Amino acid sequence: MTVFPHLLAGLELSTLPQQLVNGILLGAIYALIALGYTMVYGVLKLINFAHGEVFMLGAYTALFTSWSFGFTEVGNKQDSSPGILILMLIVSMTVCGVVGVLIERFAYRPMRSQPRIASLITAIGISLLLQYGGQLFLPSSPPPSISDKVNPFKGNIEIPLKPADSALLAQAEQLKAKVTSTKAAYDEQLKSEKDSFNLSPVGKELRTASQDAERDYRNAIDKANKDALVITLPQGQVIMLVTTVILMVILTWLVMRTTAGRAMRAASLDFDAASLMGINVNTVIAFTFFIGSALAGAGAMMNASFLGGTKIDTFFGMLPGVKAFVAAVLGGIGNIPGAVLGGILMGLAETMVIWAGYGNYKDAIAFIVLIVVLLVKPGGLLGSNKVEKV
Amino acid sequence: MSLLQLDQATIKFGGLIAVNSVSFELKKGDLFGLIGPNGAGKTTCFNLITGVYKPTSGKITFDGKEIGGTPANKIANLGIARTFQNIRLFKSLSVLENVVVGGFLRHKTPLLSALAYMPNVIKETESLKAEALELLKIVNLDKVADVRSADLSYGMQRRLEIARAMATQPKLLLLDEPAAGMNPQEKEELNAMVKHIRDEVGLTVLLIEHDMRFVMSLCERIVVLDAGKEIAAGPPDAIRSDPKVIAAYLGEAV
Amino acid sequence: MKFWGVRLASILGAVAFCFLLEAVAQGQSSFVQRLFVLAGLYVTLAVSLNLINGITGQFSIGHAAFYQVGAYTAGFCASRFFAQMNLPPAAWLLLMMVTSAITAGLAGLLVGLPSLRLKGDYLAIVTLGFGEIIRIFAQNQEALGGAYGLTVAPKIQYVWAAWLLAILCIAVCRNLLRSAHGLPFLAVREDEIASSAMGVNVTQTKVVAFVLGSMFAGAAGAILAHFESFVSPPMFTMDVSFTIVTMVVLGGTGSITGSVLAAILLFYLPEKMRDFTNIPLAGVAAAFVAISAAVFAIRWVMQNFHGSTKDRAIRYLGILVGAVVIWFLSKALLGNVPSLKENIDGSKLRMVVFSVTLVVLMLLRPQGMLGHHEFSWDWVRSKFGKPTVKEATA
Ligand SMILES: Nc1ncnc2c1ncn2[C@@H]1O[C@H](COP(=O)(O)OP(=O)(O)O)[C@@H](O)[C@H]1O
Ligand SMILES: [Mg+2]
Repeated sequence: MTVFPHLLAGLELSTLPQQLVNGILLGAIYALIALGYTMVYGVLKLINFAHGEVFMLGAYTALFTSWSFGFTEVGNKQDSSPGILILMLIVSMTVCGVVGVLIERFAYRPMRSQPRIASLITAIGISLLLQYGGQLFLPSSPPPSISDKVNPFKGNIEIPLKPADSALLAQAEQLKAKVTSTKAAYDEQLKSEKDSFNLSPVGKELRTASQDAERDYRNAIDKANKDALVITLPQGQVIMLVTTVILMVILTWLVMRTTAGRAMRAASLDFDAASLMGINVNTVIAFTFFIGSALAGAGAMMNASFLGGTKIDTFFGMLPGVKAFVAAVLGGIGNIPGAVLGGILMGLAETMVIWAGYGNYKDAIAFIVLIVVLLVKPGGLLGSNKVEKV
Repeated sequence: MSLLQLDQATIKFGGLIAVNSVSFELKKGDLFGLIGPNGAGKTTCFNLITGVYKPTSGKITFDGKEIGGTPANKIANLGIARTFQNIRLFKSLSVLENVVVGGFLRHKTPLLSALAYMPNVIKETESLKAEALELLKIVNLDKVADVRSADLSYGMQRRLEIARAMATQPKLLLLDEPAAGMNPQEKEELNAMVKHIRDEVGLTVLLIEHDMRFVMSLCERIVVLDAGKEIAAGPPDAIRSDPKVIAAYLGEAV
Repeated sequence: MKFWGVRLASILGAVAFCFLLEAVAQGQSSFVQRLFVLAGLYVTLAVSLNLINGITGQFSIGHAAFYQVGAYTAGFCASRFFAQMNLPPAAWLLLMMVTSAITAGLAGLLVGLPSLRLKGDYLAIVTLGFGEIIRIFAQNQEALGGAYGLTVAPKIQYVWAAWLLAILCIAVCRNLLRSAHGLPFLAVREDEIASSAMGVNVTQTKVVAFVLGSMFAGAAGAILAHFESFVSPPMFTMDVSFTIVTMVVLGGTGSITGSVLAAILLFYLPEKMRDFTNIPLAGVAAAFVAISAAVFAIRWVMQNFHGSTKDRAIRYLGILVGAVVIWFLSKALLGNVPSLKENIDGSKLRMVVFSVTLVVLMLLRPQGMLGHHEFSWDWVRSKFGKPTVKEATA
């Protein structure tokens, strides 16, 4: 029984840079979700299992917002604008933020005096409730997707890393003349025979010649391009990355510079001491949930609108949620820069697995990473290993 | 012969040296006190001796064996038992069951017989329970043997911790602030109980306590820690008048 | 002598009970037989997970993985060896139960050894992860039928086998708890540091619980494989794990009888719901509203009234009536919302019921139906009249 049939046989080095870039783009989304896990864990020491479902609701919110602008499946609205996208982003972030705060208020807060496992069970319960309860009330079969007409940024940005072989390219150019001439001859013949139903033998010959020339030319071009390296970035994804960076800068400012952020950091260092120092922990927790959930909402909106045809159902948030959680643990749960680092690494790990030809295992890699991290460095890359005080 | 010996025992938590080159020695049958202001590193000393933490450097020898860094359960099997400053009972278990857990390390029957509930297991369980009940009599808790331990009063819980530790039949018993939170009468009783444990049961006892009167009247030798360092050692009278000790407690400059 | 007499009698009693069930099921439709078998399997799964989660306190949410390992072991062996061995079906099934228990136990060891160093929520995530890894692995193995699955021949549909396993599992857990050997498991649940100070080898205790629990799940898997005559990865998703966890939590962590009752209840309820095919969506939405209102009203009463049992009972009754009224009103109101005009199948509500159970339970009675208690008449009597602990100690 061969477990891995083609162990690393299909590694194609020329696609590696593109895959690395893809990994970073994917990782940015994981990072946005991971921030929510990490912030909540920092303050409450709770794995917010329902965070992935908040992400799912963010995608639905974006979907409904796009519908309200007329981008329905049957509608034929064509002209989108950045304004619509920004509006969708803001609506998704707000709705998710509010949902996060509500979940905390009604499900987690009553559990605060209970053992931690009770909160965890509640979180699992809420997560299942949103997945399966959502199925009853949200359109999910067949799974809808946001119309790709919403995204006005369709083009690609190409970054050449290494040009095509110029000698070969020149050779190919020479072949081009022949393509033009044979094609012209064939077209001529076609014109003269346009009344007859079947092509005459001469015509057939000309056609073959034209096709051969065309093929030779293509082969030559391909050969010349073989060691050219070009990274193709869909504009939408670049915008995603830029938005993510902007959001993270805003987050850093919120956490490091504002009173609320300072209170949040205090609470995550020592919850009880913070409340004794007169910090209103309920407000801090609500703030944390709002920010964390809003970031997930942003991630969901971008994920669903920029990657054309992403299918949305109520389980949409499950895998990204789990992977982002792993990212948070990988970076050191409770640690904000750690979540970003972990997210990027998770994205890279996943695309590398696909690149190595094990696409079927791309959902398992998150768990493998998680298990390895917890065993080797349980505190995560940027976290600290604390010893329990006895 | 020395039963327990700490030789330059040290542990660091990040930048904090919680126990800094502490050395002392207990002889068999000692009733030994460990005192010092809050945060001095007394509990951490216990944690080093019982294998909760591994010393950063230094040696800990028990009964001729080096035990620094040995897992806690192995140390319990070697014959060191302890109580905890912040009571750590098995809360939802009954008083009797708490003590039986302590005695369980002497079990002989294999797990498989227990899964089949064989007669030898039944017998063993009965005898462990009977032993536990005897111990509960010593700490005066036999009347509440079937009560959930979390429902006991504070003083009772401290006594139950002592009984549970004794159930392991240790050679050395470590008591971490056993009198904390007790009223004078309870302290009186505890004093007699500890004496009984040393004199009649024959254990060596090392105890941490803040109540000076309690320690001075009970212990024969005392070590004083401050900020992780050993600042004095000797019999109670010498400690009482040691200026360094007074300074440590009153915060005066020496 | 008396011991062996009692032992023999109880074994005979258990066997007689199993064959009685078999006899009852024989006269019924295949649908009912299926219910009988699956109920037995869920009891086994819940009680064995309770050993890990409830008794030893290691919050595992990946139990379906071991169920799957067992089922695939049986499926794989049946396709290779059944024809050659020429055993009668009953003997083959017993053999497969043992084999599957062993492979699942090994899988439990493999998962448990590294991950049981982790605490609480981390352990939960890792067990969930292992469950997924095992499922994805099976999905990509040609030898195991890949995503399509394995056909398992022969089809063996014995009600008695499922219940014999369930009773064995219950007996083993009960025996453990009756003997002193059970105490270290409970002690580890209560406090790991104190346990190790008492000489308990914490890691070993956890691993034993994990392996033992996995073995029972594996044996259950063998029965499932032969009963369905088919195994495939979607039969063992996270939902199955969550279902089992819900049973354990509802029963009360650590209570064997609680797990049994909850398993039967939570298995039966959704099956019963399949009978309802035209549930108005507005009614379901209204139920959400009514339940939420009732839960928070009950919490309010629990926190603010400490009157007599009778006073409280009256208040709870009032809340119940109020909830029904709210349900009717909101159903009438929501009935006008166009998107809620649909009707749905009861079968769609299965996981919804589980999730609502989990959340409501945590909000109102986090210790589960029975808490740490076992169901016994003594316990029931103690709830009515016998002096409470506090009174006895005073
Ligand atoms: N696990 C730990 N991590 C970090 N610091 C610790 C840990 N355990 C103890 N300490 C620190 O070591 C010092 C000594 O603590 P302790 O031994 O409990 O004092 P005490 O003498 O009051 O029993 C304290 O400053 C305490 O905060
Ligand atoms: Mg202390």
